[in-house]
Amino acid sequence: MDLLQILVNGLSVGAVYGLFALGYTLVFSVLGVINFAHGAVFTLGAYFTYLLIGGAVGANGLLAGFQLPFALPFWGALPLAGLGAALVALLVERVAFRPLRRRRADPLLALITSLGAGVILVNLIQLLVGAESYAIPTGALGGLPASFPLLGARVRTVQALLLGIAVLLLALLTLWLEGSRNGKGLQAVAEDPETAQLLGIDSTAMVRLAFGLSGFLAGVAGGLVGLSVSIAGPYFGIGYGLKGLAVLVLGGLGSVPGAVLGGLIVGLAEAFVPADWSGYKDAVSYGFLFLVLLLRPRGLLGRPLPTKV
Amino acid sequence: MSVGRLLRLGTGLLTLSLLLAGCGSDDTNQPVDVTGGVPVGAVLALTGNANVYGQDQKIGLELALQQRNGSGGINGRPLKLALEDSGSDEPGANAAFTLQINRGVLALIGPTLSQQAFSADPIAQRRGVPVVAPSNTATGIPEIGFFISRVSAESSVIAPLAIERALKIQPGLKRAAVFYAQDDAYSTAETTIFQKALKEKGLEPVTVQRTQLNDQDFQNQISAALREKPDLIVLSLQAVDGGNLIRQLRELGYRGLIVAGNGMNTPNIYPICQKYCDGLLIAQAYSPELDTPANAAFLKAFKAAKGGAIPPQLTAQAYTALQVIGEALARLDKRQPLTGAPLAATRKQLMQELLAGTYATPLGEIRFTPEGEVIQSQFFVAQVRMDPGGRSGRFALLK
Repeated sequence: MDLLQILVNGLSVGAVYGLFALGYTLVFSVLGVINFAHGAVFTLGAYFTYLLIGGAVGANGLLAGFQLPFALPFWGALPLAGLGAALVALLVERVAFRPLRRRRADPLLALITSLGAGVILVNLIQLLVGAESYAIPTGALGGLPASFPLLGARVRTVQALLLGIAVLLLALLTLWLEGSRNGKGLQAVAEDPETAQLLGIDSTAMVRLAFGLSGFLAGVAGGLVGLSVSIAGPYFGIGYGLKGLAVLVLGGLGSVPGAVLGGLIVGLAEAFVPADWSGYKDAVSYGFLFLVLLLRPRGLLGRPLPTKV
Repeated sequence: MSVGRLLRLGTGLLTLSLLLAGCGSDDTNQPVDVTGGVPVGAVLALTGNANVYGQDQKIGLELALQQRNGSGGINGRPLKLALEDSGSDEPGANAAFTLQINRGVLALIGPTLSQQAFSADPIAQRRGVPVVAPSNTATGIPEIGFFISRVSAESSVIAPLAIERALKIQPGLKRAAVFYAQDDAYSTAETTIFQKALKEKGLEPVTVQRTQLNDQDFQNQISAALREKPDLIVLSLQAVDGGNLIRQLRELGYRGLIVAGNGMNTPNIYPICQKYCDGLLIAQAYSPELDTPANAAFLKAFKAAKGGAIPPQLTAQAYTALQVIGEALARLDKRQPLTGAPLAATRKQLMQELLAGTYATPLGEIRFTPEGEVIQSQFFVAQVRMDPGGRSGRFALLK
């Protein structure tokens, strides 16, 4: 089979998984919990993109027939959708995480509150725009061709864009984390929130920053996936959410490079499943995760837990 | 409260709710309750990945209900329809069936998917509640039991027609690539029929690609299929996954004919595959052009409700399902008044009445075999024609 075709297919899907898992990772690194509302924020990013490019709401839901009075090109809509998703992620932090943190509640409880926030968001989407599928128009990329040949392989333009934008965002995030004051502040809070606070870093602001960034990445990923496939209703993000969790664990909880590596590995593992067995690709990727965790329980790039004496 | 206590409390509540859910009401001596109307239930996939079918079906039920109650209901008493959303999975369908049966409905319409029917219909069969399936086409649905019937003809009757039509359009077809969702009862049943039909017509499938119902990205399977250079693609998929596959297939350069099964037989595929839906061949159990009084009445009602649009097959079948139940109920009530009659015995008599009747419906005249399989005489093949903008289209019947 054409190796290049498999690589292109695997990397483009893997990049989305990585982008998705990065959102989980950012929040996990500062709070030590998984934000289960992340899939709903991803879904919202796809819907925001659809609406911003001039898409109309279907016949169901409270907003039936609604259409924004303007239509942006896809390239304008995508970052705005990311910003919209970031605002929603900040709201989730405000209502589902901060009250528990203030009361010094068991961090595990935030799993439930974030799950609740996610379910509420999904139901809100359904209430407002119905449960039907939406699709970003095929011509959203202007004059770009639907696909192009590449060394014998056939690549959908949207696949190439997914990969390119995901890699760009991952690179920017890494540069920002390593090279900026806020990025280093975020890492310090992830390392030890109390010491970071003593050093004058506002850990609450860093947590907000993590949620905002996580929401932005989820929103952009949602918009990109929405461009590639249809938005299959309010539960659109669930499958990606589960895969993102697998990627998060495979890469190592809280590890940014781990999330990227995990995403690419899962994407490639799925792509390398022989076509005749492609209906079992989830089993293969989760089986792979299972094996890695047996051999390396902290994930590929996760740090070992400190030994307590 | 500690996490441990919270978990224990949650487990206790869950156990209690499961116990309560298991305690269905005893229908044996319960009388039929016609307060507010003669109760019939429907269970449709209004959310989840099959919601596109449920939305079509809901309109059909609403129109049939209006028609029935507008012409006197069940001998002067209104027909009362309780609609429940099953989601698109089996647990949702099971829960909705149980809820409806416990409400005391006389008959059930649904569930939307064959996959759900294999799970939920046995509940109705055990509880002795007549079921009329409006859209289950997989082999073996009426065989679940005496109380299970359908107005949606089995795939084996319809699906091969589209293959025949493809060969008529392009007689030189040689290489077929087949796709189906391996985790869906409808898809697996239909692909068997498609593959048999292909072989009978001398078209050996050059590749069979398996997908899953919730898949959205098919590039691996498509790349593998296109390497075999097929000149015909045959899909047994549902609307959302099938629509996405067609879009990706065309974007990756496939230009040949595509035949799809009943799962894609809905205008709700238009927004998914958009301009790429054009040319898709699908066999039909309903023709808007059928010249009968029953279809004329249905068409008139649908056009009035939907601004002149043409009804899809799923809407016509759902309409037919409620029409059949309404007529059977009216006949039974005339012979033996429903008010105060024992519920369990009435449900059984209704099923017998339903199977015995002949119905003039939008699908044409239909009857049932003693097993509950629909007997329908006319089927058609349509080709999707998309408008220039690629946002809407129509199923153009091929003569």
